[in-house]
Amino acid sequence: MTDLSNRKWYTGMLTQEDWWAVWLGLGFFFLSLLNIWGIDLVGWITYPTKWVFNPPPGGKGDISKAFYALGAKYSLTAKDFYKGLGWWSVLWTYVIFGVATTIGAKCMKWNVKKFIGGWTIIFFLTIATWFIGHHAFFAATKVDWHKYGLNFALSLGGGASFILALIVGLIIGNFFKGLANYLTEAAKPEWYIKTAIVYLGAKLGYLPIKLAGFSHKLGNVASQLTFDLFFAGATATIVAYLIFWPGIYTISRKIFKLPRKTAAVLGSGISICGVSAAVATGGAVRAKPVVSIMVSALVVVWAVIELIVLPGFFTHVWPGTKDPLVGGAALGLSVKTDGADAAAGELLDTFLRSKIQTETNGQVVWPEGIITASAVMTKVWIDVFIGIWAFVLAMIWVYKVERRPGEYVPPSEIWHRFPKFVLGYFTAWLLLLAIFFGPGHSGAPEGAALLKSIKAGVVPVEKGMRKLFFMLTFISLGIITDFKKLKECQFGKMVWVYFVGLFLFIIPVAVIVAYLFHHGMQIPNIAAYVK
Amino acid sequence: MAEEKKQCEVGGSSLSVDAMETHDVLEGAEPWEPIETKLVLGSFAVAIIVLLIGLWFVPTSILH
Repeated sequence: MTDLSNRKWYTGMLTQEDWWAVWLGLGFFFLSLLNIWGIDLVGWITYPTKWVFNPPPGGKGDISKAFYALGAKYSLTAKDFYKGLGWWSVLWTYVIFGVATTIGAKCMKWNVKKFIGGWTIIFFLTIATWFIGHHAFFAATKVDWHKYGLNFALSLGGGASFILALIVGLIIGNFFKGLANYLTEAAKPEWYIKTAIVYLGAKLGYLPIKLAGFSHKLGNVASQLTFDLFFAGATATIVAYLIFWPGIYTISRKIFKLPRKTAAVLGSGISICGVSAAVATGGAVRAKPVVSIMVSALVVVWAVIELIVLPGFFTHVWPGTKDPLVGGAALGLSVKTDGADAAAGELLDTFLRSKIQTETNGQVVWPEGIITASAVMTKVWIDVFIGIWAFVLAMIWVYKVERRPGEYVPPSEIWHRFPKFVLGYFTAWLLLLAIFFGPGHSGAPEGAALLKSIKAGVVPVEKGMRKLFFMLTFISLGIITDFKKLKECQFGKMVWVYFVGLFLFIIPVAVIVAYLFHHGMQIPNIAAYVK
Repeated sequence: MAEEKKQCEVGGSSLSVDAMETHDVLEGAEPWEPIETKLVLGSFAVAIIVLLIGLWFVPTSILH
């Protein structure tokens, strides 16, 4: 660690993926706030709607409106302009985010030419899968079938697009290796999801504003719910992690007879936030780089398997719609990459909202994003914990296990290991909450005009940009996931440690801890306020 | 064997893994030492303390 001692607190602000998630996330978030002064610069973001080839007379689903600029619906000052964009909003989104991400890629010293090529292909593949996934046969919930002239549909909501994007990515990653290799410069699921998580912070902060639009009381219920998730998520994370790490460490050492340093890195990789934790712990305990590499590769592949299995399990087996936030929080504690976790949370969110609507015949409707937020909240706390734990482990290894005389672990390591995108997430959330409780008068009539202008700006961010970056994450995750890696690189024993550790220890403990702190938390019913 | 190199890709970056080195990090476990017992039990103990405090103070816990 001493070779890194000349780092400053601001090191990496222009060169690290983490920081670029903050700049992309907060940059567009702050642009959206210009709506307070009547300037709408974010309404161009494209968004899909459900469609069919032959809409019934008087029904919905016109294919010419399958993509539209969100400003056409929400803008207060430029609605007519954004209405005119229609499908062209796809191109606007491509160009604006293409420029923004390319600047990031350039600063991070990636191959810009390759990035632009990769970005272009990934973006338009994303749009294509988003479009197909919104065919009413996949996406329409039971209560809406008749509007599209359907007698049956899969009722997957927006989840269909996510699954499709993952499948397309996996096909490329596993069967078209040449193309996958070309796309890797722009297939950056961790960057995309961290940016989406900053937008999720905006969603969390916007939730009370949105519900206050329905009723003053609902707004306050929502703000309380976000605080509850914040505290429950923090405590559940600390408890779970302090059980996860020693458990996996003991399993690795006692049952699988792994060396001490390998067990320590595996303990962090399987317990916390996979790749970053494995790298951080590998550095802290001075494990050979190959250990972090092997664990990181395992983490990525197993996280995708969790993403495929767990949302369906938590929806249809347990806890289902009875305890939706237990399922969400358990995902955050058990899925080991930010990308797969947030993606799994989003899937669970769409599955459970669709299910509750079907079960109650439309009598119960949950606002979108709360279940995703419960999955991300625990994950964010785990990310925060990585730096602290890497610091603690480094101290234990230096001063106790290996007793390296004269070596010093600087406390600044905590900052350098800190996941910076979390700053963007909390900034967006807390700033909107401050506006809601301050000049927004907690949703009372005297704050209504201000909150309405906030809504016009923030919806394109928390809805359009967040979903777009989720889609980019799904497709990129698939592209970089090669299942053959499990066979290669002599993983053998590690695959088994991971399998046993994850399914027989981590997931059960995650579910129990999530239950202890989230059982009984209710999502407000907005059925009376939506069409 | 030592000459044999395999490629592992992690998050898009290509990294070279020496097969012999891979074998090294999976074998040769050191004997379990008392410091490891302390580390594991200490972690569990802190988890239980945080759990009890959390159950008591967090308003959404099952105790409330």
